[in-house]
Amino acid sequence: MVTQYGIKLAVSLISAHFGEIVAKVCCCLLQKGTLTLSDITRYTELPSQQAKNCLLVLIQHNCVQAFAIAKEGFGMSTRAITHYSVVYENILHRLRFSKFLTIVSEELDKECEELLEGLLQHGRLTLEQIMLRAMSKQNEGTSVYQDVVRTNFVRLVNLRYVERCPTSEPFLAPNSEEEAPSIGKRGPKSAKLGLSETIEQRAMKAASPSEAKRFLIVTDIGANVTEAKTGASMTNLMLGEKRKHKALETDGSGAATICEKEVLWRVNFEEFVYQLRKKVCASNVRSRLDDGASIILNAMLDATKSEENLKSENTVSLTMDAIFEEVIKSEDGRTMTLDHVRAGLTQLGCHPFIRDGEEYFSVDIKNIIEIAQNEEVESIMLKRYGDDAYRMFRLLSKTGHLVETEKISDMAFVERKTACKILYNLWKDGYLHMEKIISHGSTQYQFLLWKVNKHLIKEQVLDEMCHAVLNLMQRMAYELGKEHEILKLPREKRIGVLGKRFDRIRKVKILLDSSLLKLDDAIMLFSCF
Amino acid sequence: MHSKQERYGDFQGDIKKETSLIDSLIKKSLKFLQDHNLIKEFSHYQNKGKKYFMAVEFEPSAEVTGGAWYSNGSLDMDFIATVKVSCLMCIKQLKVATVEGIAEFFDKTHVFHNKCFSEKIGEIVQTLVLDNEVMEVKSTGMGEYAGIPFGALCYKLVKKQGGVPRVGALTSIPCGVCPRIHECTPDGIISPVTCVYYTKWLDF
Ligand code: SF4
Repeated sequence: MVTQYGIKLAVSLISAHFGEIVAKVCCCLLQKGTLTLSDITRYTELPSQQAKNCLLVLIQHNCVQAFAIAKEGFGMSTRAITHYSVVYENILHRLRFSKFLTIVSEELDKECEELLEGLLQHGRLTLEQIMLRAMSKQNEGTSVYQDVVRTNFVRLVNLRYVERCPTSEPFLAPNSEEEAPSIGKRGPKSAKLGLSETIEQRAMKAASPSEAKRFLIVTDIGANVTEAKTGASMTNLMLGEKRKHKALETDGSGAATICEKEVLWRVNFEEFVYQLRKKVCASNVRSRLDDGASIILNAMLDATKSEENLKSENTVSLTMDAIFEEVIKSEDGRTMTLDHVRAGLTQLGCHPFIRDGEEYFSVDIKNIIEIAQNEEVESIMLKRYGDDAYRMFRLLSKTGHLVETEKISDMAFVERKTACKILYNLWKDGYLHMEKIISHGSTQYQFLLWKVNKHLIKEQVLDEMCHAVLNLMQRMAYELGKEHEILKLPREKRIGVLGKRFDRIRKVKILLDSSLLKLDDAIMLFSCF
Repeated sequence: MHSKQERYGDFQGDIKKETSLIDSLIKKSLKFLQDHNLIKEFSHYQNKGKKYFMAVEFEPSAEVTGGAWYSNGSLDMDFIATVKVSCLMCIKQLKVATVEGIAEFFDKTHVFHNKCFSEKIGEIVQTLVLDNEVMEVKSTGMGEYAGIPFGALCYKLVKKQGGVPRVGALTSIPCGVCPRIHECTPDGIISPVTCVYYTKWLDF
């Protein structure tokens, strides 16, 4: 879902990171959809070379995907024409780099975090470039350190945090008549709404490496004698993967060189989104239910992690024994008994089903996400429109269908007049859908029926959140700019009035930073999960 | 008129239709009857503008007054609030309770003068659910639900962190509750840089 302020936010992120001109190209792509280079130069009025350079920057940072389509030229010859399409989500992920880094530093270590940071900063790198970069930072011994970097890199790839980059320009055969002309007109928004596969989706599919190849690495660890032990284990690790690829197997070290020097790697955002989604679900369950339920949920998510399940709506079904086994793996889970687990599963709303005489459980993740989304929207109702509106909105959102004014006022215990006023305001602000019914009899009656429009609300809230992030960032820039001298003050000078100002700006920064992170969590909740 | 419409009362306009008397005469006679304490005036809960009359010995029906939660044609907010608080306290004490359980509890402890009907309590509990104060759960018949039949609808207090409801991410910053958000632009008259809500928020 890309909203108006979503686009503004993306453009402002790009402009902050890569400057105005790149932002101009990006904005053009966001507003007009997939374009060719000549279209871009026409719309942005930039010289062709400059536009091209901008596109290269965006491609390097995974914000644009290029693809070629065959087009019949005059006469009989066909020409391949390159199109550029923007990857909106990847732009917004730029807000979240610090979260991704935290995940890695918590799960792995500081060195892996640094490695990932390099990749995030540069967008795409070969292993060789990664190693050179790491070594330029580190002044110590070469080959030993190289192997450390290699090992860390393999760890990151094995955990799917890093993946091979997609093909830079896949070729798409034109497949249907109506699809080709849609390019350029179709905005990212309509592309998402479209039921059939859009050309952008086809391009993404064609570009992404096959599952087997995506996380395949061949590294030459163990060349150094001192690291022989690690080396052996690393090769083992890779052996299974290698077997799938006979061609690579024939010449291990040659393949390794190619892999290090030529293959481009990037951060796998999908995996990080999955991890964050897991965190959000667990924390929602913890605050709504209790620790036990969240431990069980985590355990079930851990047990079911596989590629197909990254975005699935349910966890995989597991037997009680399998769940218990997973639960006691974690430190907090060790104190739980089978009864605890059973009670927790009930709290999570799991209804077991029987297969082959065994009970299976699965958790409805989509439902947890929806509850979290509702909480966010309801909090808006409460804060902006008050208690009565909150109650009425919850009533409508629970029932899910059209309800008449009088019924709402009765059930929510709100005076009819007040109820009318609130419903009207909510409708005016786009949160409700209204229908009028006129009964024709001896006297005419008019009934008003109301309903929550979930899809519209999601879009509107998302748009407001993007607007709020933009405002937050602007205010932050203003506050920091105003006090930038103060921020540079050495410790001994932070006394008296200056000290107070320093204290204030420090607190301001902390508050704004944390609000930004929280708000971005909410944006992810509505757009990525 | 006296004998008719015992529990529903009569609207002034209807009286006119039925008796075919002129306005001033009706008004006069109504006044006379009221002065002699033979009829009384009351209002309809959905139609407060109109005057209704009935003989003093009758009580208006729930369909006219709106029922137990109405007094003088409007919602009796104080009474509702009292019942709500009592229900909350009861659920807190019982940990998990069915509507019948709450009604029984009230009857036993004589919280209210009159007998408590579970139907009425149910209405209040539903608003507590809408208030997000209590939540609906199904009994498992085990543990804390012992004594409640399996599958019965029960109510539990909603868990709150530190006693306050969770604030959403958007509403915890000024823009989330700002009435001017649609007029706010980076370099307009209303802008984040000049925003007074922010200034207040960041006033440490
Ligand atoms: S910056 Fe200020 S004026 Fe603008 S939307 Fe936010 S709170 Fe409102």
